[in-house]
Amino acid sequence: MKRVLLAALLLASCSKSGPPDLQISDAWARETVLGQTETAAYMTIDNRGSGDDRLISVEAAAPAKAMLHASGSSGGISRMRHMGAGLALPAGTAVQLKPGGTHVMITGLGGPLHTNDVVKLRLQFEKSGPRDIDVSVGAGGR
Amino acid sequence: MQRVRIVLWVLVALAMAALAFLMLRPAQQTPTQQQPMTISSVGGPFTLTGSDGKPFSSVSLGGKPYAIFFGFTHCPDVCPTTLARMVRLRQQLGAGDRPFEILFVTVDPERDGPSEVGKYAELFNSPVTGLTGSPAQIDQVKKQFGIFSQKVPDSNGGYSVDHTSTVLLFDGRGEFSGTIAPEEGDSAALAKLKRITV
Repeated sequence: MKRVLLAALLLASCSKSGPPDLQISDAWARETVLGQTETAAYMTIDNRGSGDDRLISVEAAAPAKAMLHASGSSGGISRMRHMGAGLALPAGTAVQLKPGGTHVMITGLGGPLHTNDVVKLRLQFEKSGPRDIDVSVGAGGR
Repeated sequence: MQRVRIVLWVLVALAMAALAFLMLRPAQQTPTQQQPMTISSVGGPFTLTGSDGKPFSSVSLGGKPYAIFFGFTHCPDVCPTTLARMVRLRQQLGAGDRPFEILFVTVDPERDGPSEVGKYAELFNSPVTGLTGSPAQIDQVKKQFGIFSQKVPDSNGGYSVDHTSTVLLFDGRGEFSGTIAPEEGDSAALAKLKRITV
């Protein structure tokens, strides 16, 4: 019995299973120029709930596609990779998607994005389900 | 139960050993570190193609200091972040309108022609010179500046490019002066930019 309790305790300390409460703020994407079909979108996802969640995928309006990517630099080399396992959103933590780090890569854009344009994205969360957000396009100099 | 406990302890021991291995093994060598390069040999005169499709020679910089960054236009995050930062630092330097030039050289000449690099450079609302060239020219300039790049297939059937993320700085005499890494703070970066613009 003691072992069962210990195991339960260990599990409890690993993940929080209450309801997550996600607040998404400051969503913006970089401007693009004619001929450029990709951009990156950034935002803050604050999980104010008592349970963990996970961003598992992102969708953009067709024909554009969106994907969760991580950029990183090590040994002076920058790399960008698809985050197949999604992005963990621990309870009580604000996770930032920001330039040079985790971002939503949008590909297949039909035309250039100008400042103040809005890009619609659907974020799929493991527990909170789908969430539609408006991403405002900001100047490339940001 | 005893057996389960033994198995668990063995797993713990294995995990510790793996952790110790990961922590103690020497850092992986990156390709740029393998290239023997002396500081004085970095850079030098070069000829590429400008956004107008005409040859661009480093001679046309006319003795102006410059910051050079290698990337690609299908790069939505690291490249624009780096170039936007260089533009911001140039404004913060407060040493006139254009105390140094910002050069952007593509490492993906197959997709980035003169108009692609030219338009990309316009994203930053401040003068940035976009440069491309033949694959052989780009290879030559990459070698000259100690730049690594490698195509990596992405999940859309296309490719991304891993590449050197540091910006290289050259003074008015064309001498290599230092680098700015993405993870470096602004005050250190500004100090380095001051050094090339005095």
